[in-house]
Amino acid sequence: MTESNVPVIELRHVDKHFGTLHVLKDISLSVNRGEVVVIIGPSGSGKSTLCRTVNRLETIDSGEILIEGVPIPPEGKKLAAMRRQIGMVFQSFNLFAHMTILENVVAAPRSILKQNKKDARAEALRLLERVGVADQKDKVPAQLSGGQQQRAAIARALAMHPKAMLFDEPTSALDPEMIGEVLSVMTELAGEGMTMLIVTHEMNFARRVADRVIFMDGGAIVEENTPEEFFAHPQSQRAKDFLSSISEH
Amino acid sequence: MSISALLDKYGSLYLQAMLTTWRLTVISFAGAMAIGLIITVIRVCPIKPLRYLGDFYVQIFRNIPGAAMLILLVYALPYLKLNFPYETCVLIATIMIPSAFCSEHLMSGMNTIAPGQIEAARALGFSFFQMIRRIVIPQALRSAVLPLTNLLVATMLTTSLASQVPMRPRDLTGIVSYINTRDVGGVLAFAISAALYCLTALLLGQLGGWIDRKVRILR
Ligand SMILES: Nc1ncnc2c1ncn2[C@@H]1O[C@H](COP(=O)(O)OP(=O)(O)OP(=O)(O)O)[C@@H](O)[C@H]1O
Ligand SMILES: [Mg+2]
Repeated sequence: MTESNVPVIELRHVDKHFGTLHVLKDISLSVNRGEVVVIIGPSGSGKSTLCRTVNRLETIDSGEILIEGVPIPPEGKKLAAMRRQIGMVFQSFNLFAHMTILENVVAAPRSILKQNKKDARAEALRLLERVGVADQKDKVPAQLSGGQQQRAAIARALAMHPKAMLFDEPTSALDPEMIGEVLSVMTELAGEGMTMLIVTHEMNFARRVADRVIFMDGGAIVEENTPEEFFAHPQSQRAKDFLSSISEH
Repeated sequence: MSISALLDKYGSLYLQAMLTTWRLTVISFAGAMAIGLIITVIRVCPIKPLRYLGDFYVQIFRNIPGAAMLILLVYALPYLKLNFPYETCVLIATIMIPSAFCSEHLMSGMNTIAPGQIEAARALGFSFFQMIRRIVIPQALRSAVLPLTNLLVATMLTTSLASQVPMRPRDLTGIVSYINTRDVGGVLAFAISAALYCLTALLLGQLGGWIDRKVRILR
């Protein structure tokens, strides 16, 4: 239906305020099919807000957001239908606490896509296998480690066959020894051609996996470049400061 | 009269009264849960005037005394050409009042749901009703088992309003005044009813505790 040269995600001149705080300043960016775009920047620079505007968990004041060239509907059934096409993974996993892991993955395809029970289950098991938590399928989220919960959350998002995936600091709430297992699932996804927009502080991951790095500061995109160029030769002073501040740790 | 004499003479009436109280309780609680659920959904729906309407309903029925409501139903409704049987009047009161409390318990049950789960549901593309049905109500119910058990007991006690109207068969409270007008049952006649209320409440409490342990959400 859509030509491959239409970006999967496109933001045009997006502005947003929280009260008097100008959190997003004239943001324009696009993510093409199969592309992995990583957003980095200091705390409070608006990365999460940007990520959340893409599926309209946050509204915007002005500008346009398009999914495969179609503007995001403002509300209602049409908005819900658009959200189905964009998977989202949160810092705090947000698995449904009253459901088992398997039920978490099956819930949306069953309720929303009206998949029959058998197909939905088979697909969910395949996805849980793929992210390596199939053996946890009958436990509830609270019985899993953070890394396992986050991988299950990725499986839950994938079960809707999204055209793109948003990740908002998916490893920031994890103990260091679990970060790797989540990043490796994400690396695999990228390798399989998933279109991804990722907010992260994992610079090595960004270096290895990103096609493009976007550096944000104070609500604006300050720099946009390939990871090689960005990490080796940051252009702006703010990017230089940011990179040196994180390499100190 | 002694307890045994009372039970000899009125045992079967007590049994019938207990079954009547149980029946009223089951119907009232089922109705209260159904209406309470609907009111709760209205109170969180995206349409603001409806939300206010839901809050208004709860404010009214949470604060009206049961006896006052029964008097209104029995004496005022006929002026509106609505002639309900006495039992229906009792049931309207014993459904509507607990339904307001049911909604309050469900609202606080909802507050235990982490906002992130609602965001996740929206991000997955759940519609409002799908989210309510699959995510919100199940968790609200499961977190509210103990307060809802208390409400069930309170609803049973509220069904004693039935004793205020000439309804047949009599309930556990109605039977006491009946016996005391025919015999000198005194406080003993009341004690038997009280014991039966207590016994039922204890059983319900046990049941509620058991259900709570089974469905409690691990966090
Ligand atoms: N709902 C909100 N209401 C008001 N202000 C908000 C809200 N959400 C975020 N902000 C503010 O907007 C700014 C950008 O927040 P955002 O969460 O997008 O930053 P971030 O780049 O993701 O930071 P971090 O790296 O700490 O996650 C911050 O100053 C934050 O305090
Ligand atoms: Mg953030």
